[in-house]
Amino acid sequence: MDGISHIVIEVADLARAKEFYRLVGFELTSDNGLPECGRSALFRTASGQAVILSESSQPRSLPETGVHQAYRISISDRNAVAQKLAAWNVTVHTYEEDRPREKGDNFYFYDPDGNRIQLVAPSGSPDGSAKILGIDHAAIECHDVEWAEDFYVKKLGLEVDHRVGWRTDDYVRAKLWGEGKEHMAPGTRRWDHRYTVMEQKRRLPRPNTHFFVRVGDAILGIYLATQHRQEPPEEQLVGTPRIGFRAGCQTIERVTQVLAASRMPMKGPVEHQNSALIAASLYIRDPSGNFLELCVPRDNSPKLEDRELRIKQIT
Amino acid sequence: MADLEAISHSAICVHDLREAEDFYCNVLGARQGTRVNFKTDDAIRGRSVHGSVILEDYLLALMVTRDFMPMPPAEQLRGAHGFRHAFRVRRARFDEITNELLRRGIAFEGPVEHPEKSPFGASIYFKDPSGNFLEILWRRDEDVNYEKPYVTGVG
Repeated sequence: MDGISHIVIEVADLARAKEFYRLVGFELTSDNGLPECGRSALFRTASGQAVILSESSQPRSLPETGVHQAYRISISDRNAVAQKLAAWNVTVHTYEEDRPREKGDNFYFYDPDGNRIQLVAPSGSPDGSAKILGIDHAAIECHDVEWAEDFYVKKLGLEVDHRVGWRTDDYVRAKLWGEGKEHMAPGTRRWDHRYTVMEQKRRLPRPNTHFFVRVGDAILGIYLATQHRQEPPEEQLVGTPRIGFRAGCQTIERVTQVLAASRMPMKGPVEHQNSALIAASLYIRDPSGNFLELCVPRDNSPKLEDRELRIKQIT
Repeated sequence: MADLEAISHSAICVHDLREAEDFYCNVLGARQGTRVNFKTDDAIRGRSVHGSVILEDYLLALMVTRDFMPMPPAEQLRGAHGFRHAFRVRRARFDEITNELLRRGIAFEGPVEHPEKSPFGASIYFKDPSGNFLEILWRRDEDVNYEKPYVTGVG
């Protein structure tokens, strides 16, 4: 898996969201960008990655959880965004982060539909393009962290970047958070109501288990859900919100075999005749019901005939 | 008398669950038990972060402490009041095991020879990464098939 190809998020009011994302620095490319996204708008980042806003009456943005999307932007452009956000009365949050790379500098806010956006300013990024440079990372929820690790690491072949929730250090920081001394991102710490009769009235701050895997130059964060959520029907294999990974034909072939051996359902690979962005997709769901897509970019292979031949072989 | 049947498990405190599991499973050879706080149901029930490792029929629960525990000095390899967990191996494998600890750079004290009349032959003393004191020993009577134990002073 080479990286994140696209992110599909849900918004209630497409027109309002389009305006918001455009002003933050995304470039609106088309009003019907990607297959299987419903009524949507497609934005491109300078890296060529895509962010798709898909209209939904009840957007699953989960603002109170660890779920968020992080984009790269230059520091001067981010300062400009900060001024705009202040003018619109949108609060910018900074948190004490767990992942070492995000510790020094972080910048979060919510879009009008409760999707948490993080803007990462990598050092040495080109200045003043006023554009979102690329997708840095994305985070989702799962209801079983061990199962999720088995899926993303063993089955999809990704590597773990960082884990939170296994150490006394994580507890100590949860305590600081509970005492109001450290401001930590939603989904990383939680209040537990202990179930033993003796301590029923005690609330205890605890680390909420989560981990990060590397996907090419991007990161996928996977947080333990602190409550059960209604999953889409089991037979539905394509939906939103969704994360698309850029992958070669061989990777898709290998994943298809691995998932088939575990009897996990999938759809595809599906060839897209009309998409300018992607040539073919394999649609899957992780064990917690998150929609994923492994896709071959349109320009993946230098030799067009070779690539089309490969796609024919696997479809 | 309560007529207990066996020891089921001990819970020990650790600072890092992964590190502890790696030590007990990959260094000492226990097998991985279940972990708690990795499922949504655990979060809803407000359960603490812990795991377990199993050696034969004996389970060690590994509890992640909410605060850092005072650690014994690095050079101290035996507990102050003798508190420890001891594991038994066959005499033939004892050297192999001490060599394995040497190879991994795990400091231990010993082997300490026990008196001739002791049921224990020799022991080494060391600690896990969270400072829990441990011992590995072999028994002189490893090949003796005892009959039903006679316990004095009972009944």
